[in-house]
Amino acid sequence: MEKQYMLEVKNLVKHFPVSGNKHAVVHAVEDVSFRVEKGKIFGLVGESGCGKSTCARTIIRIYQPTAGNIIVDGEDVSYKKNRELQALRRKMQMIFQDPYASLNARMTVHDIIAEPLRAHKVASSRQEVSERVYDMLDKVGLSHEHANRYAHEFSGGQRQRIGVARALVIEPEIVICDEPISALDVSIQAQVVNLLKDFQYERGLTYLFIAHDLSMVRYVSDEIGVMYLGQLVEICAAAEIYEHPLHPYTKGLLAAIPIPVPKLARQKVVSSIEGDIPSPISPPPGCHFHTRCPYAKPICREQEPELRDMGGGHQVACHLY
Amino acid sequence: MNEMMRQSLPDYQIQTPDPWAALPVNAESREKLWSKSRTFVGDVWFRFRSKFTSIFGFILIVLVLLFALVGPYFATFTYSEQNLDFVNTPPVFRAINCSGGYFYITDKLKVLEIDAQGHLVGKVESIAEDYEKKQVTLSYQGGEIIMDYSQSPYTMLDENGERIEEAKHIWNRTYLLGSDNLGRDMLARLMFGARVSLLVAVVAALTNLVIGVLFGSISAYCGGMVDAVMMRIVDVINTVPLTLYVILIMVVLDAGLLSIILALGTVYWVNMARVVRGEILSLKERDFVLASRTLGSSTATILFRHLIPNAMGPILVTLTMLIPSAIFMEAFLSFIGLGLTAPLASLGTMCNDALATLRTSPYQLFEPALLICILMFGFNFVGDGLRDALDPKLKK
Repeated sequence: MEKQYMLEVKNLVKHFPVSGNKHAVVHAVEDVSFRVEKGKIFGLVGESGCGKSTCARTIIRIYQPTAGNIIVDGEDVSYKKNRELQALRRKMQMIFQDPYASLNARMTVHDIIAEPLRAHKVASSRQEVSERVYDMLDKVGLSHEHANRYAHEFSGGQRQRIGVARALVIEPEIVICDEPISALDVSIQAQVVNLLKDFQYERGLTYLFIAHDLSMVRYVSDEIGVMYLGQLVEICAAAEIYEHPLHPYTKGLLAAIPIPVPKLARQKVVSSIEGDIPSPISPPPGCHFHTRCPYAKPICREQEPELRDMGGGHQVACHLY
Repeated sequence: MNEMMRQSLPDYQIQTPDPWAALPVNAESREKLWSKSRTFVGDVWFRFRSKFTSIFGFILIVLVLLFALVGPYFATFTYSEQNLDFVNTPPVFRAINCSGGYFYITDKLKVLEIDAQGHLVGKVESIAEDYEKKQVTLSYQGGEIIMDYSQSPYTMLDENGERIEEAKHIWNRTYLLGSDNLGRDMLARLMFGARVSLLVAVVAALTNLVIGVLFGSISAYCGGMVDAVMMRIVDVINTVPLTLYVILIMVVLDAGLLSIILALGTVYWVNMARVVRGEILSLKERDFVLASRTLGSSTATILFRHLIPNAMGPILVTLTMLIPSAIFMEAFLSFIGLGLTAPLASLGTMCNDALATLRTSPYQLFEPALLICILMFGFNFVGDGLRDALDPKLKK
């Protein structure tokens, strides 16, 4: 059977103008392409400022893409006007990073969760709206009594579950999770991740899961894409990336994962990535990573490597291979 | 001693052998919120009333409202009723007891008869005036009495021709707050003036809330060209001085309350529009607004359920500053003669009228000024309290 793709991103580019300088632009997302299979979880990782969130926000069309195509369930939504996006909004929802900022402080939890139902006029009556809201509250482990409360009365984990409930109440097919756990306590992260996984089993949801924490992404994802300075440098199956990382940047990221066993930690090679991420306004020529790469060759400074398949769906953009 | 201490230990220490043992945890207690649940209105009211100043301001406004709306039904005089005999009578008389009656000498050297309770009886007619001695002879109940103005304070002479030095202070029972320079009741005029001020307050509040908030939020939310054009309109309106604007309107309409209200109503929202725009510009980039957009909510939903409620704090602060300033503006325009025409009264025209007799009858300026102060206080306190009450983050 042919694979069905829920989300296809083709050569997506997003530039932001720099205020005060008409010619300079921030190269937030540079020629990114990937596909997410139906019912699978695609993890997108990379350090802060590499364009993960911009990529997510462009896909869900908070931002207008500069170039490239976004195809959701076979439909190209890249350049649709706001009015025509209603269908996309039903299919695709987003969970935000900061559970404190993403919930309106002036609304009760009931109204927050009911908002998508009202926006898409899914429920026929007030009563039906309430029923679905209460149903959703049950599923995320909150009680009916919480419905009349305001968001600020809840803890971070509870709020993020409210965010999950809001995103999932209209039963979307694909959910973009923009670092849904990075603002939470470690003790609560598992709670939210497990909740997301439960929904995946139950409804066959597709996720685009963004994180900077590789250890959590490994637990969650089926496939992982590594981003650096607006570009995808490596894509492969989740298990493969931990066993055979190819790109030097991926190796560096993996080396940065703390090891919870002191004996093993002492044997660990010190992280090989040094320095800071270069400015996305004027990214370095050639391979964007060559300024920090321990294996950089002369060609890396001149020619931009392309994403090539190394066999078994393992793609990497590096001159070493 | 030890025995006694052990007996006084609380029960739980005896029941639990290990004081460090963990208490049982269940899902219910973990998810429980410990604050009390209330409805929105109940919540706002609870927070509003828990602050003394806001309740105090609220009471002040209610009192002024009652004073302005219900007061005239209990007043003896209407705001335009004149009595030229009783001009500039103060709230408290310096009454001189002479020949069995009480007399009050006005600043224009007229002598008024008062009864013992303080009611004004009438003007005492003068018969002759001795300019050298500075004495006036008046006829009173068939006899004659003499008023002496040779030295201050002016007083009456008794039968022996001696000055009566002692005087009694009696409250004015006819005009409780005195009368103005045309013999009109200050109390009745204050009531009427308060009505005008409150009307102006309501008009200013409505135009600010409707036009100002909508204009500002639409301008900010749409952004780009729309924003630029709408804000230039605000700039243009803002450059025309309000005084000039009122004069221009009065060319078309007559001078009076209508033109003031029209002027305030059409241009008084520009400050509010600016404040709201600034607030919404920062709010619209916040995550919860982006979230609402990804949820598929309409522009109206985003504006009215997300942006404007969250901008309510600055809106109310601006409103509480703009209402008093609108009241002030009306008073000012009336004061310089662009507002109400006589015999209508507003607090501003009353202040203006009082200027002529400021030295002899300061109460005529003091009373309307006090009422303006009370109104300002009331609105400021209420606005302050409302802003806090509408912010659910301050919930106790």
